[in-house]
Amino acid sequence: MDFIPGIEAASGGLQAQRTRLDVIAQNIANAQTTRGADGRAYTRQVVSFESELIKRMGDGAGGSPALRGVHVSRVTGDPQQGPRVHNPGHPDADADGYVQMPNVNMAMEMVDLISATRAYEANLAVVKSGREMATRTLDIGR
Amino acid sequence: MIDALFKGQNYQVARQMMDATVLRQQALAANIANAETPGYKRVDLAPSFSDQLQAALQRGPGELQKLQAQLVEDTTAKSVRPDGNNVEVEKELMMLGRNSNEYNFLAQVVTHDIRSLRTAITGRNAG
Repeated sequence: MDFIPGIEAASGGLQAQRTRLDVIAQNIANAQTTRGADGRAYTRQVVSFESELIKRMGDGAGGSPALRGVHVSRVTGDPQQGPRVHNPGHPDADADGYVQMPNVNMAMEMVDLISATRAYEANLAVVKSGREMATRTLDIGR
Repeated sequence: MIDALFKGQNYQVARQMMDATVLRQQALAANIANAETPGYKRVDLAPSFSDQLQAALQRGPGELQKLQAQLVEDTTAKSVRPDGNNVEVEKELMMLGRNSNEYNFLAQVVTHDIRSLRTAITGRNAG
């Protein structure tokens, strides 16, 4: 049992959302990268969340509810094809003069950024509330 | 006198409810952390807890001590998302605030009991 109730799940959430923010930052930074380490245009990365067991409740049988935290299970590339832009002067242009651009959609990344920030704040609110509860616990009897 | 306080009904109920609010805080924290996990279903304190508390109250203080709050998966919350997740962060945060206030209240109840005992021992009001 934690001293601060809910801290385990909340810290997992904070970590997961921070990873998501990192990946979004990477996507935005590479929105114009036409040549990566593999010689191809940058591929937008997406994080996947997965819940993880914190504590099993009740008799521990398969169907019994459990407290679950969250973690980033994997970061995968978005298989969608990016736009091809006609720019014959570009060093990465192909024989027809087209450049394969990354499949990063700036508007989408910005929306994701906001949603990740809000989710981070929500988890932070949980930490604050839990900390307040811990303080009240210490004040019992005073 | 001390038994009258620590075995008193008020004290016991406050204790049980404090345990329940801590458990609920953990459940709400897990829900918020998993707000974007595909397929996650929110958990909450079993709705039967208040009935169980009532029943235990009527059966006597011994029963009260045996009572243990349980979590259940919330099947009543509707999911409006294609991934099956039924957490609404706004609702969870609202419940979180309420839950934390409930805990503060219960802590005050217990503190009040203990203060009365201190008054009885020392014969004067503790500041």
